[in-house]
Amino acid sequence: MATISIDRLAVSYAGTRIIDGLDLTIEAGSFFTLLGPSGCGKTTLLRTLAGFLAVTAGQIRFGEHDVTGVPAHKRDIGMVFQDYALFPDKTVFDNVAYGLRARRKDEAAIRLKVGEYLERVGLSAFAARHPAALSGGQRQRVALARALVIQPQVLLMDEPLSNLDAKLRVQVRETIADLQRESGITTVFVTHDQEEALALSDRIGLMRQGRIEQNATPQEIYRAPASGYVADFVGAANVLAIQTAGHPDPGRPLTVDLAGARLTVRAPAALSAGGAVLIARPEDLRITRSGATPNTLPGQIARKQYLGSRTSYRIRPASGQEIAVDLHGPGHNGFEVGEAVGVVFDPEATVVTPT
Amino acid sequence: MSLDAQLRSVWFWLSVALVVILAVFLLYPLINVLASSFAGARADGRTGWQVLLSEPKYLRAVGNTVLLGLAVTFTCTLIGVPLAYIAARHTFPGKALIAILPLTTLIVPEVIAAQTWLMMVGNNGLLTRTLSAWGIGLPSFYGWFGLITVMTFIYYTYIYIGTLAAIRAFDSQLEEAARSLGTSPALSRWKVMVPVVLPAILASSLLVFTLVVGNFAVATILGHKVELLSVITYQTFVSEVGADPVMQSTLASVSIGIVALVLFIQRFVLARGRFEITQGRGARPEPLRGLAALGLTCAAALVIVISLLPLVSVVAGAFTRARGPVMRWGEWTTANLERVLVNAPDPIINTLIFASIATVTSILFATAVSYLVVKKRTVLTPVIDYLTALPLALSGTVIGIGLVISFNTGWLPLTGTSAIIVLAYVIRRLPFGIRNASSTLYNVPNSIEEASVSLGVAPMRSFVNVVLPLMLPSIAAAAVLVWTTTVAELSASVVVYSGGRETLPIQIFRLIDSGLMAQASAYGLVLVAAILIPIVVATSVFKLDIFGSR
Repeated sequence: MATISIDRLAVSYAGTRIIDGLDLTIEAGSFFTLLGPSGCGKTTLLRTLAGFLAVTAGQIRFGEHDVTGVPAHKRDIGMVFQDYALFPDKTVFDNVAYGLRARRKDEAAIRLKVGEYLERVGLSAFAARHPAALSGGQRQRVALARALVIQPQVLLMDEPLSNLDAKLRVQVRETIADLQRESGITTVFVTHDQEEALALSDRIGLMRQGRIEQNATPQEIYRAPASGYVADFVGAANVLAIQTAGHPDPGRPLTVDLAGARLTVRAPAALSAGGAVLIARPEDLRITRSGATPNTLPGQIARKQYLGSRTSYRIRPASGQEIAVDLHGPGHNGFEVGEAVGVVFDPEATVVTPT
Repeated sequence: MSLDAQLRSVWFWLSVALVVILAVFLLYPLINVLASSFAGARADGRTGWQVLLSEPKYLRAVGNTVLLGLAVTFTCTLIGVPLAYIAARHTFPGKALIAILPLTTLIVPEVIAAQTWLMMVGNNGLLTRTLSAWGIGLPSFYGWFGLITVMTFIYYTYIYIGTLAAIRAFDSQLEEAARSLGTSPALSRWKVMVPVVLPAILASSLLVFTLVVGNFAVATILGHKVELLSVITYQTFVSEVGADPVMQSTLASVSIGIVALVLFIQRFVLARGRFEITQGRGARPEPLRGLAALGLTCAAALVIVISLLPLVSVVAGAFTRARGPVMRWGEWTTANLERVLVNAPDPIINTLIFASIATVTSILFATAVSYLVVKKRTVLTPVIDYLTALPLALSGTVIGIGLVISFNTGWLPLTGTSAIIVLAYVIRRLPFGIRNASSTLYNVPNSIEEASVSLGVAPMRSFVNVVLPLMLPSIAAAAVLVWTTTVAELSASVVVYSGGRETLPIQIFRLIDSGLMAQASAYGLVLVAAILIPIVVATSVFKLDIFGSR
């Protein structure tokens, strides 16, 4: 168990600087997810932590150890790969025992340890099989046991669930969550799947173009996205351009102008004069027929899709972008296309951030 | 990886070492051959190229060689392409026999093919004498007729294998698409399949052309009055009346030039007709019935019988009593075999020793090269890739002459040693080893090695623990292939060998030259056994896939 400290890290690959001046601290024993679209640098960061990519500048520390120049095999890490990376010619037992044998543990201790971890991932009965005789989910559990059995300081996982089908993905996800909690090993998990990130993480680092856009808990990421980019990547969001007057009073609600309507919203931490965006999730908005409801933007229903448990509406204001609203609960299907309505913004569920 | 990161890695320095070795033993001899053709150090002060252009003998040889190349390529295509099409698209009685075809080129060394054809239809051949007893005269087998016949039946399998692979990979849905658009089956095939398969046919034809130009064994044994480049190059080299180093280099350079030209044409043609070939479902073979089936079965059987004839005749020859050059057909004896096994086993021992060392060396080298080229790419990778493929384009004669003139004296005098024979073997067969050893490596994901490293095992050890076991079957297959082609090697070793270091092919070649067919057959039988036994053991006991057929 070790705190991972990353200090002004820069990594170049094939002549391009992929990570440039990244600072990040990952708490000892926590589950940290690097989330982002492909090409954002999350896998590069993970492989740099593993020692497979050379650092161009900056420093990486595991606890008190500076591991910046330490080769991968001396970093005391466990790694789980997207394609499982099991040794095809070795049995499940030998795969899991591999790291222990490299550490020259005695064979009786190895047998005990491997047995324990196979038990934990529910594969005790498969010890003598070869990887080819296992399903994808089973293979990834073996890989997990193999990485954890050496009790590494840091566990690194590179999209471990993306080769699995939807149902298995949830099952293996739960195994990962359980094992990580039990072992308390500092874990860095790379994914492009927001649901995985939200479900598993203590904290999420949302990456964009080689830097961390927001580093926060899953709730904060979802509820208080630091930017339109974050809001848009994690869940559905209306990201609406607004004009603001400048610095808000801290602690006081802020009044903004959206397409001619005056809306009161929660005050952001900091805001500069000029461009800003208002972020509201479709499920946090309501629709009203009454013209007297406060905090309402008038418009007309442009489109609706009935989706069973909810109905998804598109509302076109007098000017500006269309707004998506999802209604749940009784009567969610009750509005018709063409109707004149108002979109009600909940001040507590509306965020204003700089663009 | 950036350049300075590369400079720090073990793999980079291993690549440097490989490039140095290749430069010394491959590039340097090649450059020596080319350079000395321009040196002009002949007694009469003319350069090799001036002599070449002024003496009709040399120009005729160049013309004959190109002509023979074209003729054999044509006849090989004529047999290989239809056979491949039938094998890919139809089933008929006895089809399983066709599967043996790729084997024949491997298990019948060229020198034995030439020899056994002579035993049958040569001036003193069994068939020639039988037929003349009935009053039927066969045309002389020496010269164009024999050259084209023997080379065709040696080389058509290359076109057969290349075309077969292309037809099998061809997505038959394309053909169905053409038919759905209203073209007849035959026309669909012609319009859709032919353009897609053509590059493969062309590539294998050019390979055959290259092989014919470089062929030494058949050309020398059957060429007779037809002057051929490889033959006069060799003759210039061994000439009793003062070897002519400038001329031998010039002639070797000409054959390098012809092959370079062919490769250039190939690039040009392939670059023009480059389209994406999607790996599709091959068509299900349709059974053939009735007369067509009968005709095809007979034709295919004939081709196979002719291809395997050398094996039968070498066995017959080995056990037939002979008095000097006269074969007493019908009188059986084990005297020939006793003689080669007991009284004069030196060529056998030499072959086994040289080929063993060469195979081990080749495989070690090939494993290292494949791993570096596939898994640890550096700035040097393209150089290694190119250099290791080079021997495929060079004839054995050229490689042999290059080695002899480069390591005759100086800092590394190898001429007259056994080492130079082994070196010639290794260089000639290196591409075979690398192609086979690297084949499985492409399917081993990098993450497996990284997994091992992440578990605390150093990179070099990770390779040994994790990657090497996965490579073993293909390394073993490569070893068998290198071994079988090495024991049969003649054209380079005949140039570099010295007295007392005769190998089986060299000894057979010399015995054919003296007309001692029975003894040649006996050595031939041992040679075929040295080739066949490893293949049989590898495929049936170890279930190795040597020919990439599965």
